Amino acid sequence: MIAQIAAITIFVVMFILIITEKIEKHYVTLGSGLLTLIVVFGICLKDFGAMWDIVNLKSIVTAEFWRTTGAESESGGVDWATVLFLGGMMVMVEGMARVGFFRWLCMRIAKLVKYKTIPIFLAFMTMSFILAMFIDSITVILFLASVTIELARLLKFNPVPMILAEVFCANLGGSATMCGDPPNIIIGSNLHYSFMDFVTNTGVIALISFVFIVAYFYFVMRKQLSTSTGGEATDFSKLPSPESAITDKVGFFVNLAIFLIAIVLLITHANTGLTVAFIGVAVALLTIITSGKHVLTVLKKVDYKTLLFFIGLFVVVGGLEHTGVLEVIADFISKICGTNYALMVVIIIWLSAIASAFIDNIPFSATMVPVIKSLAETTGISLDTLAWSLAMGTDVGGSATPIGASANVVGTAAAAKAGHPIGWGEYCKKMVPATVIVLVIATVYICAVYL
Amino acid sequence: MEKQLIIAVSREYGTGGHRVAKALAEKFGINFYDRRMLEEIADQKNMSVDTLHKYDELPRNVFISRTVRGMSNSPEEAVANFQFDYIREKADSGESFVILGRCAEHVLKDHPALITVFILGDKEDKLKYVEERRRVNAQQAAAMMYRHDKKRKAYHNYYCPNKWGDARGYDVTLNISKLGVEKAADFLESYVRMRIELNK
Repeated sequence: MIAQIAAITIFVVMFILIITEKIEKHYVTLGSGLLTLIVVFGICLKDFGAMWDIVNLKSIVTAEFWRTTGAESESGGVDWATVLFLGGMMVMVEGMARVGFFRWLCMRIAKLVKYKTIPIFLAFMTMSFILAMFIDSITVILFLASVTIELARLLKFNPVPMILAEVFCANLGGSATMCGDPPNIIIGSNLHYSFMDFVTNTGVIALISFVFIVAYFYFVMRKQLSTSTGGEATDFSKLPSPESAITDKVGFFVNLAIFLIAIVLLITHANTGLTVAFIGVAVALLTIITSGKHVLTVLKKVDYKTLLFFIGLFVVVGGLEHTGVLEVIADFISKICGTNYALMVVIIIWLSAIASAFIDNIPFSATMVPVIKSLAETTGISLDTLAWSLAMGTDVGGSATPIGASANVVGTAAAAKAGHPIGWGEYCKKMVPATVIVLVIATVYICAVYL
Repeated sequence: MEKQLIIAVSREYGTGGHRVAKALAEKFGINFYDRRMLEEIADQKNMSVDTLHKYDELPRNVFISRTVRGMSNSPEEAVANFQFDYIREKADSGESFVILGRCAEHVLKDHPALITVFILGDKEDKLKYVEERRRVNAQQAAAMMYRHDKKRKAYHNYYCPNKWGDARGYDVTLNISKLGVEKAADFLESYVRMRIELNK
């Protein structure tokens, strides 16, 4: 009981400190993780074996960690596969950014549609959706938003609706694959799902939703976009050429090849047996080897703070799991639902969505994975059904508010910096209906197909 | 004016600090910047001045905004930064001016031409001043004072390491109740002239 109280207290204080941003969030989770190890496992439980299990370093040296043989492997605590995969993808993405790939892609597509506002709007939404399937949504929005602002200035349109649509599509695209959004990586690597498992389940829901969302944003925002703020014709020669974005031609093709290798490895990893940890490390090594003298520039840009944030977070959630706190939550949900599986799906999707709209969806999903595992064991509902419900809820729910997901923060911050601060009212008016549309589609689809 | 001069004036609500700052600008024949700088910023950024006013002099609300990779999506913080950049640009251009509020004493803290002032006053005098200027009763004046000072303090303490009104953060802290607006402006003028002399 004391251990449970200590674990909950550490978790709640950690959450409050993350929200207040007084201390950088990786220090918060690492400090909380250390406290969990000392107070919960050391002082309260006096279980030093469990302490070592939570740190979970031993998992890295097993062959199963790098190439799965299909054998069941149960491991709680720090999910090193997620950490290594995220780290590896970050290195690869920074390599691509260095050579100007993302900027080139944005400018190329804008040129392809002849710099017409509505076609740019539709093309950028699609690009955001597709890119976010494979790379982190922060990077996708960083580049898309900056090019959108640049084009908006030159073509004299309001960039805010376009940025909001891009943000939503990045979050939606992220829900389609295992590597698209951190909650999916956590769900996938903890519950042993493959890249294709996600594509054939959440991917289908995301694709159906995307069609509706494009139509929704088009009808809601076309007026705002077609209202030009200036009367004079735009001189297209003033627009930067896509090729001017490329800073290193050879590096451009090399990094593009590494990106394609990453996609192939991810799509085939269920057949090859290569784990996401292996893929992450492989693409990172390839990027490092081929970056030559630029290797330090690339490595310096990697967001190591997020990786440290994950490590600390997994320890704290491990504390909650080990002390049985998460089972209490699972029991509570199963008591409400009984054998009404549809209600359980509705609760998981909408609870995850509402929670993710206000709090970071990464700690939330890390906390909920053991909860749905326990629910599946005790109630008999398929774990797959709950996993896809959790993924859709956490990935999409985050779109509803400006603070729900990292892509929203980066998109609205870029807009604010360019002179277009976006308040909650303006943001939610456009994004809440879009979120509700996708959540309804996800709920109906999951209930109809899986129950 | 030969050498650049920047006077940053902060003040409690109801002290007449705005009038003192304006009088100082007139005495030295230099520009005066206050809330109206938002109009120029709105022009530069091609945005609505109402949007800027809506988020002006407000601290970031930690519960409804977040920072990711050093990028904050708080509109209040964005508007504050527009003003900080504007003040820095003015200072870097070599222009002499008096600036009211906007954390200027911190934003320009390393600028050699900067002189910082904080004006406070006795509660009764401030109440009387607000009642007369705003034509409100004592209760309304007290509520206005409380609201404005709370807002200014929160704004300042969010963006600056030194506390709002703490004498250690300013060159001069002056209780205006003992002198009144005009004498306070005269006193500050002589102080500034003394500083200019010393820096020659």
